[in-house]
Amino acid sequence: MANTTSYPSGTVMVLAGTKRGLFLFTSRDRQTWTCEGPILKGHTIYYATLDQRSGRRLFVADNGVFFGSFLRYSDDFGDTWQEPERGIQFSEESGEKLKNIWMIEPGRREEPGTIYAGVDPANLWESHDSGVTWELNAALASHPTREHWNPGAGGLCLHTIIPDYSNPKRMWLGISAVGCVRTDDGGASWTFANKNTRADFQPDKYPEFGQCLHRMVQHPQQPDVLYQQNHCGVYRSMNGGDDWADMRGSLPSDFGFPIALDPHAPETVFTIVEDGEARQNVTEQFTIYRTRDGMETWETLTNGLPSGPGVRLGVLRHGMTTDSADPCGVYVGTNTGQIFASADCGDSWRLIADFLPSIYSVSAFVIE
Amino acid sequence: MDPTIAVAEARVFLPTALAERTGGQRMVTAAGGSVSELIAALDARYPGLGFHLCYETGELRPFVNIFVNGANIRYLRGLETAVPPGASVTILPSVAGG
Repeated sequence: MANTTSYPSGTVMVLAGTKRGLFLFTSRDRQTWTCEGPILKGHTIYYATLDQRSGRRLFVADNGVFFGSFLRYSDDFGDTWQEPERGIQFSEESGEKLKNIWMIEPGRREEPGTIYAGVDPANLWESHDSGVTWELNAALASHPTREHWNPGAGGLCLHTIIPDYSNPKRMWLGISAVGCVRTDDGGASWTFANKNTRADFQPDKYPEFGQCLHRMVQHPQQPDVLYQQNHCGVYRSMNGGDDWADMRGSLPSDFGFPIALDPHAPETVFTIVEDGEARQNVTEQFTIYRTRDGMETWETLTNGLPSGPGVRLGVLRHGMTTDSADPCGVYVGTNTGQIFASADCGDSWRLIADFLPSIYSVSAFVIE
Repeated sequence: MDPTIAVAEARVFLPTALAERTGGQRMVTAAGGSVSELIAALDARYPGLGFHLCYETGELRPFVNIFVNGANIRYLRGLETAVPPGASVTILPSVAGG
């Protein structure tokens, strides 16, 4: 049953999108958590976000196994839901079929009505009226290389959208398995930004495109600095994606999905790498990895995380996030239904939820 | 029956998952000479219902099954299967899971 609570300013909210419904966790102190859900019981929620730029609008990517994908939004934290008047649907003439909605990303602070969505087949949709009507980005849809784009295991999905806060004309997209795509002209054209990122599964290990970028984030103070977790390593760019450096260092695997950073100390970055074939923790210790120096060195975080021969956890690309509190909270949702939370920037962890359906995403917000 | 009505409405039985589109009704009525026309009529009355059933291309979704008077339209003429006057049309998701 959906909640009817209104949440006071300062409440920390974690939205967990799962294979079977949306769960909403709230806390005033990040120690004691209240769980509400499942909201949209039985629905497959790939992602959820709370847009607080103009009110409090909760968006979800609702991907049904049987009956199609819909973007929905709620202005009362899930009590009631609305759909766009003109939603995310391709034209009949395009021949395209919407498979899944992967990402819903609010735009810049100074454009509060703008919100973006990424889908499979890889396309960018944008709304300039807070989600009521949606338009397809035509330049990406007709990109001249498009017929050579190939899907990753999760599909040909556009899963990461980064509107540059410093430049209204610049934006980055992450597409599996195409890589990083950038516009410098407000979406009128798109170029690849994959130099020096590897594609071990291709004959040419360093192609112009075809990389399997898994997740990417932007430094909130130095807009040209980007971090990405890739199918084949972790990378840092210091020049807006013009080129990348392999920053794996001591990480025990190239393969991982999520990446997140501390908004107050953005050289602090978190990632989780896995055994690339098993897609679980590399050793018997479930480990989250942290750098304090922009990926130059890595440390292991295990305090409060489980270990043992039966501990084999997987975390998907949207399965880790940070909040905007200080010290930052870090949240990790597993594909076996646990949520681990840290209120001290990763130094220690607590299990705040268990036995949930498989978790596809976690996103965290401090209620304004 | 009014002889000016060319096509009598069919009774359409919906799964629970789609009843959110119809205000909770599990049975609704609609008119259409074929299944595709019936879906168009349903979508006009209950916006969004059609997209649950068919892709943008008009193709029936793979895990949606539609039965006209008990016969699966996949083994008839698909979406062009005729809907006789007063037909009973049942929409079901495929069996999934263990």
